[in-house]
Amino acid sequence: MKDKTLGVLKPLVIDKYLTTKPMTLNFPTETLEPVEGYRGRHFLEMEKCVGCGLCARMCPNKAIEIIELKGRKYPQIHLGKCCFCGLCAEYCPTTALKMTSMAMISMFDKSEAVYGPNKLSQPIE
Amino acid sequence: MKKNKLEEREITPEFLLPFGPQHPASGHFYASIIIDGERVVELNPHPGYLHRGLEKLMEYRTHVQNCMLVDRICILDPFSNEIGYVNAVEKITGIEVPERAKFIRTIMAELGRILSHITWIGVNSMALGLDSGTRIAWGNRERIIRLNEIITGGRIYPCYFTVGGVRRDLPQGFKEKIMKELDYVEKQLNVYDSLVFENEIFIMRMKGVGTFGAKEAIALGTTGPNLRGCGVKTDVRKDESYEAYPMVDFRVVTMKDGDAYSRALVRRGELAESISIIRQLLEKIPEGKFRVIIPSFMKSPKGDTHFCCEAARGELCFHMVSDGSPNPYRVKVRGPSFSHTLSEFPYLVKGVNIADVPAIYWSLDPCPADMDR
Amino acid sequence: MSEEIISFLKSKFADSIIEVTLEDRETSLTVKKEKFCEILSTLKYIGFNHLSDVTCVDYIKEQEIEVVYHLWSHTKKLRGNIKVRISRESPSIKSVVDLWIGAQIHERENHEMFGITFLGNPNLSPLFLEEWEEIPPFRKDFNAREFVRREYYEKE
Repeated sequence: MKDKTLGVLKPLVIDKYLTTKPMTLNFPTETLEPVEGYRGRHFLEMEKCVGCGLCARMCPNKAIEIIELKGRKYPQIHLGKCCFCGLCAEYCPTTALKMTSMAMISMFDKSEAVYGPNKLSQPIE
Repeated sequence: MKKNKLEEREITPEFLLPFGPQHPASGHFYASIIIDGERVVELNPHPGYLHRGLEKLMEYRTHVQNCMLVDRICILDPFSNEIGYVNAVEKITGIEVPERAKFIRTIMAELGRILSHITWIGVNSMALGLDSGTRIAWGNRERIIRLNEIITGGRIYPCYFTVGGVRRDLPQGFKEKIMKELDYVEKQLNVYDSLVFENEIFIMRMKGVGTFGAKEAIALGTTGPNLRGCGVKTDVRKDESYEAYPMVDFRVVTMKDGDAYSRALVRRGELAESISIIRQLLEKIPEGKFRVIIPSFMKSPKGDTHFCCEAARGELCFHMVSDGSPNPYRVKVRGPSFSHTLSEFPYLVKGVNIADVPAIYWSLDPCPADMDR
Repeated sequence: MSEEIISFLKSKFADSIIEVTLEDRETSLTVKKEKFCEILSTLKYIGFNHLSDVTCVDYIKEQEIEVVYHLWSHTKKLRGNIKVRISRESPSIKSVVDLWIGAQIHERENHEMFGITFLGNPNLSPLFLEEWEEIPPFRKDFNAREFVRREYYEKE
C-alpha cells in the first residue's frame, strides 16, 4: 500500500518546471539562429561559373536547368522541386555554387519559386 | 399494410469502430475494429497512407543520388537506413572504408537511437493521456536535433553518409558538445523514471496487457526490442557485427514477462546503454581520412547481396541486385514495423477491452513510414 | 549456413539443388520448383525458425521471376537464402503459410506488386493501392515516370 501511494505522488517532481524558463520561442519575434553549414538557399558567383552542367546531372529530382544568358550558360533552380541535399554544390568543380544558411524563403505565388541566375547571385542580408 | 423500415433491417449486437488515421489514436494508419459491447472481436488493418513506391524510384537513380532517398524510409530514425544502404553497396563493389569514417558512422547511429527512444516516450504518454510526458520529451528531442544540425547540416533529413565514407568531417570542439548533451540526457532519465516508468497509473495500464510468449512471437516475425521483452537474447549488433561495434562493450537488455510494461523497460535500458557506447567511442576515435573518392557514375559489378542492421525498432534488411550499370536493378527493403503492425497487432488484440487497444499499439513502437515505404 | 548443413541437404535432395554460393556470412541455394517446400520444412526442423522476408526479382530478358526466401536461426546464429525461379506468364507458386504464419502478409504484398498467385494463402486482397487498373507496378515494363507525367502533370 505504501508503494502505491508513493507511485502516485512521485510524478509531482515535475513541479520544478513551473518556475523555469519555457523551452519554446515566441515566433516570429524570436527565432532560432541557423548554424554555419546549414543547407539552405543557394548562392551563385557568376564570374566563376563555366557552364559545365555537372550540377544538373547530379540533381536527383531534375530541379536544375541550364539556360543561356548573354552568350554564356548558367543554372536555373526550381526551389519547389529541390530537396536541399547539397549534391550540386559538392560536385561543382569551380565552387561557383554554394549553399548558405538562409531558411526563410516562403512565397505566395508558385511562379516565384523558379530562381534564375540573376536572382541566385543576389547577396543575402 | 406498409411495413415499418426499422423492422425490416436486421439488428446485430456488433458495431464497427474506426481507429482512425489521425493522432492521438494512431499515426498515419487506419484500422477498423468490430466490437461487441466492450470486447474486441476482430481487427482489420488498412495500410497505404504513406506508400510512395520508394523501391521503384530507386531504380531510376544512381547510388550516390539514392543516399538522399533512403533517409525518407523511416523519418524518426534516419541514420540506420543510411547505414544499411551504404553497407550493401560497399559489399557488392568491394570498397574499403577508412577507420575514422566507421567510428563517425557508429556515433551518429547511436545518437539516432537515443532520439528515436525519446520520441517513443513522448508518443506513448500521449496515447495514455499523460500529456506532461509528451511536452517534456519533445522539448528534450530538440537538443539532439540541434546536434544533428551542427554536425551534418540538416535537421530531420541529414543526408550525411555516402558510398566511401561520410560527406564532411566533424567540426571543431565536437567532443565537448556531444558530452554536454549526453550529460543532460542522463540527468533527464531520472525525471522520466519518476514521471513515467514508476508512475502507478502507468504501471496499472501497461502491466499484464498484450502478453505473448517467445514461440508465437518468432512465428509471427517479431524482431528488436519487442522480441527482447519476451526473453529471447538476440541483437544484430552482437551476432553479425558491422562498422565499429566489435570495438565496444555493451549489454543486451532482456526482460522475461512479454507484456507491454516489459517492452517499455527494455527501451529504457537501451537508452542508458547507448549513452555508454558513445562515451567509449569518443575516447578511441582515430585521426586520418574520412572519405575515399570514387567516380560519381561508377558501374557496380554483377551480383546480389543481403545486408541486415539493427534499427531502433527491429531488424532492417536490404536486398540489392545489380546488373553492371550505375543504377541498381532491384532494391528490397524489409522494414521492422511491417510485421509488427500487420501480423502481431491483430493477433494481440483479440478479446481485450477497447480501452487497452491504444496501450498495445503504442507499446509495439510502430512507424507507418517503415511499413508502407 | 555451415558446410555440414549444405552437405546434409545435398545428400537428401541431390537432384533438386542447382547452385550453391558460399560467402563469409551469407549462403545462397538455388533450387528447383518441385521440392522447395520440403527443403524449407527440413531447414525449419533443423533450427531456422525465423523467416525474415520474401523478395521477388523480375528478370525480363530471361522471362522469369525469382522468389527468394531469407531465413535466420536464433539458436545457431546462421543466415541463409533459398532462391526459386518461376515463369513470367501466369506465375504461381505454393504458399508457406502453414510453416510460418508471418509469411501471409509478405505474400499478399508481392501478389499486389508483381501479380504472382500464392496457392493456399487465405487472403490476397489489395493492400496498399486502391482501384488500380494497370499492370502490376513493380514489373519492369511499367514506366513510373511516364505514368506520373500522364496522370498528374498533363492534366493540370
